[in-house]
Amino acid sequence: MSQIHPADARPGDTLPDLCFGPITRTTLALYAGASGDHNPIHIDLDFAKAAGLPDVFAHGMLSFGVLAQVATRWCGAERLRGFGARFVSITQVHDRITCAGRVTERFERDGETLLRVALVATAQDGRQTLTGHALVAAS
Amino acid sequence: MAPTGLFDRATKGQTTTPVDVEVERGRIRFFAGVLGETDPIYTSLAAARAKGYPDLVAPPSFFMVLEAMADQALALIGQPSSSQLVRCDFNHLLHGDEHYDYSGPVFAGDTLTLTTTVVDFYDKKGGALEFVTLSSMASHAKRGVLIRATRNLLHRLG
Repeated sequence: MSQIHPADARPGDTLPDLCFGPITRTTLALYAGASGDHNPIHIDLDFAKAAGLPDVFAHGMLSFGVLAQVATRWCGAERLRGFGARFVSITQVHDRITCAGRVTERFERDGETLLRVALVATAQDGRQTLTGHALVAAS
Repeated sequence: MAPTGLFDRATKGQTTTPVDVEVERGRIRFFAGVLGETDPIYTSLAAARAKGYPDLVAPPSFFMVLEAMADQALALIGQPSSSQLVRCDFNHLLHGDEHYDYSGPVFAGDTLTLTTTVVDFYDKKGGALEFVTLSSMASHAKRGVLIRATRNLLHRLG
């Protein structure tokens, strides 16, 4: 697919989607180990049931780390000035997530041209799981 | 009746004890691998150096790892982590949002100083949801503040 360079990007331009999953329990165990977030609600079914939940659920930060790549695979890590997201719904085990990005703004800050990229992660049933944005240097 | 919640709201304004953490190559590779990162600057020293970086680059959400290491360092000196300070209850805890401002890259081999400040507490839905806002910094002795992080955590109650 033809890719727009950040230097030429304008509001409305879309970035290539990024898909991951289905999210397995192995992935959650590995993310817990790699990130150091050992909250048992993501990896220990006994703990989740004792907390009144039917199952463990995915770390929001796992999707967060993939969502950031919609921006960085497009612009390169060195252009990323900011990144953030809200966790708008819980990501369940076995969810398949599609991450998408769209340029919403092009503006100047401290002598640098920046792009604001709206980012969204959506599960296979259309449920939004994360909404966020990245600030990317255009040149 | 005013909601009481589970967070220790008397900690508003408090900051965790500054601790140093070391950024390790192996941890960057492990973290980047789990996230499916494809850029070799996270995994190949040769690729990172070919791009002019001194060492492997930490992925954008690696701050999470830095913070976990800082929490371990705090435990070793008998000091509370931010989640212990505000008394997070993992039976009810959810992550509301997370935001990073980057002033420069983090590389393997860096020693960074981390602190987290308890900014504020607030309620939604009549106290059924209680939130804490935390603000963190990761600083390098020579390159200054590299990451400013803001996070909202919440307890889902009732």
